[in-house]
Amino acid sequence: MKSTYPKAADFGLAGCHTCGKVSEVSLGNCPRCGTSLHLRKPASIQNTVALMIAAAALYIPSHLLPVMTVVELGEVTHNTIIGGMITFWKSGAYPIAIVIFTASVLIPMLKILALSWLCAAASGKMHPSPKTLGKVYWFTELLGRWSMIDIFVVGILVSIVQLGNYMSIAPGPGALAFAGVVMLTMFAAMSFEPRMLWDRLDELAETPPSNAIKSTT
Amino acid sequence: MLPWPRPSGRTRYSACHFCDTLHESFPVSEGLAARCVRCGALLYQNRPASLARASAFSLAALLLMVLVHVFPFLTMDAVSLRRNLTLLGASAALIDENAPILGIAIFLFTVIAPLALAGGILYVCFPLMFGRAAPLADHVAKWMYRTEPWNMVEVFLLGVLVSLLKLAKVADVNFGLGFWAFAGVMMCMAAAVAGIDREELWDRLEVAGK
Repeated sequence: MKSTYPKAADFGLAGCHTCGKVSEVSLGNCPRCGTSLHLRKPASIQNTVALMIAAAALYIPSHLLPVMTVVELGEVTHNTIIGGMITFWKSGAYPIAIVIFTASVLIPMLKILALSWLCAAASGKMHPSPKTLGKVYWFTELLGRWSMIDIFVVGILVSIVQLGNYMSIAPGPGALAFAGVVMLTMFAAMSFEPRMLWDRLDELAETPPSNAIKSTT
Repeated sequence: MLPWPRPSGRTRYSACHFCDTLHESFPVSEGLAARCVRCGALLYQNRPASLARASAFSLAALLLMVLVHVFPFLTMDAVSLRRNLTLLGASAALIDENAPILGIAIFLFTVIAPLALAGGILYVCFPLMFGRAAPLADHVAKWMYRTEPWNMVEVFLLGVLVSLLKLAKVADVNFGLGFWAFAGVMMCMAAAVAGIDREELWDRLEVAGK
């Protein structure tokens, strides 16, 4: 049984990633904008998984290393992202503590988990439910950039708090690691191919699961 | 203004970018959108006064960007010193403090990406109002849409707010005109991008280029 919805790929047609024009994939490049044409993004699962592993590896040092170093009257303190969040929480600034927690801790972690789930479904390791997973994918693409907030805060504070011997702030190695996490997860989300979820779903419809045959006989 | 032209040739198709379902594409009237029959994702939409809106809002964003670089975002008074925060100052400070990669990243996300997107939309859309394609407009259109996910104007604004609250304990901190101008940039950019559908822009370029 073939899916009732015709796919562009079934006709050897590909929608251009850049301009949307549908052309024969055999042309190689989009006749309108010159972008190379693919039925599906090449090696999308491998690329997504590789970028995600790199992001997960950097996630650990990004929270252990200081994102900035504050020198106040000769006294040096190293601040981590989580440390800064705890300071806000203790001083009663709960909404900001929650914003920082969401942007810096929760979003990167959820993004890595969501992309693992999407890759597992796209590679056929679990049942794909494209509508639910589509929302998950849309959410990860939408929220990913907000994690950059802590990097911007470091840049802003380093720039404005240069008060000579009284107080100065310098960026720490954790900031670079964290910027790496955010950028790698953004590239991972971009290299994912959501159309593969629908391909798996249609394959399942073509070949009924073995237990379904048993129950009818 | 000229209506959304249809490039000539054989039957036009549209493939859903999310589930790859093939649709025969047909014109929709102004204000309406075409959605995928299978997954409901947006295929294309006909925005009212698209070229005029996209050009006007991108021009407004570019003019506000000038104000952003002239006026500070925050001013801080502490121990008889006044410090100003500017957009370029934030990236320059990181480069000075031995974090060049971070400085360049902030520069790309807050200065270059918004400039490329707003400048690109204006460069492509304004000549199209007269049915002309600007030189190399197809390359500009291709690259300006690629910068879109790296545009972090609104994230930087939230970063300024968090920094303000961090500093409020130690010093007297106030908003400058740059902050409000950047908030204006954010809204104009959103309106410019939403002003014209990607499919419409490329159809118009295809027709004008011939």
